[in-house]
Amino acid sequence: MAFRALDPLLHSQLRLAVMSLLISVESADFVYIKEQTGATAGNLSVQLDKLSTAGYIEVSKHFEGKKPKTTCKVTPKGLDAFESYVKSIQQYLKP
Amino acid sequence: MEDKEMSPEASLDLIQTMIGKARKRYTDNSFFFLLWGWIVLTASSAHFYFVTYTDFEHPYIGWSLTIVGGVISGIVGARKGKNSVVRNYTDKMYGWLWFSLGMAMFTIIFNGEMVNWQIVPLIMLLAGVGTVVSGAMMGFVPLQLGGAAFWALAIISFRQPENYQMLLMGLGVAVGYLLPGYMMRYKLKSHGV
Repeated sequence: MAFRALDPLLHSQLRLAVMSLLISVESADFVYIKEQTGATAGNLSVQLDKLSTAGYIEVSKHFEGKKPKTTCKVTPKGLDAFESYVKSIQQYLKP
Repeated sequence: MEDKEMSPEASLDLIQTMIGKARKRYTDNSFFFLLWGWIVLTASSAHFYFVTYTDFEHPYIGWSLTIVGGVISGIVGARKGKNSVVRNYTDKMYGWLWFSLGMAMFTIIFNGEMVNWQIVPLIMLLAGVGTVVSGAMMGFVPLQLGGAAFWALAIISFRQPENYQMLLMGLGVAVGYLLPGYMMRYKLKSHGV
């Protein structure tokens, strides 16, 4: 049986952590994702940009008073990619 | 956390860990149960007193507190949503559940004549639905038991005159909203949430 290739965008520790977190909630703030993943702000920004460019997540930036707030949520495309990634891993892990 | 590649096993572990982290968040909704518990207890007790012991023309006057409760709930709910760093589906469903029940209760109250003024038992049935479902969503059994108490009191209430229906309503919110509300607040505080 041929193994499916793992999606390189998801097969990376931080991006996979972000996606796993976001599929469990409706939307999450940048600060919350940073806290839960333990990533640095700079690295997280770069990885969120990659996921956003691929259309896996939707990033919206707005101001709350004078404070900028970045909110992320998974798109249907991101959800499909995540499901497909999990199926591929399961294939690899089958005895 | 670094941006590095992993084995399939490590990937699966990471997915499980992150999903677990997202699921661990509890939302303290005790404020709403306590607010509405005290409002309804005050209004129903006043209603019982006026009907039983006085000739006051407007025994339902205490129920005007519900307008204040609606405004406070709207403001606090909107502020909570705005300040939260994460929005989960449970909170969203919870909000829609109580909004829908509120609309149904409002419809019953303003069409009381059509249901032969059997408003109290019908409101208690709806309050029971909201309380049981909220308890199930939060995994908090005292709320589910409180909701069941609402249903039991609604059955009795259908067979009682107006003033005793008010007493049963007061008992319903004491057992269905206030007791579980204080228990929830204590539980979350003692767990440092």
